[in-house]
Amino acid sequence: MNAVFTVIFLVSVAALAISAPQNALGALLSGAEKSLKMAVTLFCIYAVWMGISRVAEKSGLSGAAARGLKPLTRRLFKTENEAANENLAMNLSCNLLGIGGAATPYAVKAIGELEKEKNTFAQKLLFIINATSVQIVPTTVIALRAAAGSAAAADIFLPSLICTAFSTALAAAIFIFGPKKWRT
Amino acid sequence: MAYIVPVIFLAVFIFAAVKKVKIYDEFSAGVKDAAKFTLSLIPCLAAIFMMCELFEASGLADRLTEFLSPAFAFLGIPKELAKLVLIKPFSGSGSLAYLNDIIQTYGADSYVARCACVCYGSSETVFYISAVYFAGLKQKKLAAPIAIVIVSTFLTTVLACLVCRVM
Repeated sequence: MNAVFTVIFLVSVAALAISAPQNALGALLSGAEKSLKMAVTLFCIYAVWMGISRVAEKSGLSGAAARGLKPLTRRLFKTENEAANENLAMNLSCNLLGIGGAATPYAVKAIGELEKEKNTFAQKLLFIINATSVQIVPTTVIALRAAAGSAAAADIFLPSLICTAFSTALAAAIFIFGPKKWRT
Repeated sequence: MAYIVPVIFLAVFIFAAVKKVKIYDEFSAGVKDAAKFTLSLIPCLAAIFMMCELFEASGLADRLTEFLSPAFAFLGIPKELAKLVLIKPFSGSGSLAYLNDIIQTYGADSYVARCACVCYGSSETVFYISAVYFAGLKQKKLAAPIAIVIVSTFLTTVLACLVCRVM
């Protein structure tokens, strides 16, 4: 991340210095402003989902879900950590249900738990699964198309499903079967 | 699909009430965690967003789109999609705005718009996710995972353009 950030930052600033130096500060400030707006949006999403997920956790509901998915998460992520398995199971369920906003807090908790056992393989695999998007129902896109007067807004359901499954499977396969140093 | 959220809330709250959970206390405790969590994200978000803004403002994003569009055309990706494909890893709101633009310009049922929708739906904002997920960790070697995700997402774009031709 440090390398990516440095390279893109330097190249962009250099290009701006040549073409339009007066825009550099404006762009930086607007980036900072957007990050705060984003943080407000994110807080709203997380407040709703972390609120309810805490209730689900205390009632024993997430524990039950985790037990159901445990054979899968344990083998996939190679971890015996109880709390990590629970958070992994909840992250996967939320993704499949198409509520991505709810999935993120679980992923962050799972990564924190996995850090305790230095399981970088599982952390990275979780990132790859989430970053290639595993949603079953693309709700946002269907809503956008319906709003624009599409004749059959939901007809992209099947192509989307094929593509999202393909991207996740491909990325996971490259990661698992690639050189060992990618996984550490 | 609109039923999912109300049903989840009903089910969880009723189940919790039966189990005698102090729902208000626990819900607020969850929101408190959310506040702490969001605060911890702000430094990473600010840095990433500044980088994205610079990249856009410097004209490099447009230049890169222009430069890559012949290669995209060769792979069967319509040139209208090039910018969407390039922006998506950096900015969710930016790419959503651009997707909406494509839908409005070409019509929701056009080939280009359907391709754009499938590409949008099967990819994620990689840099943002990597920043959020690994914000709390000291040691992060993320070059390989990020590269894997970007390559897979790109190949999926090629597949999406093929699939949309036949479906």
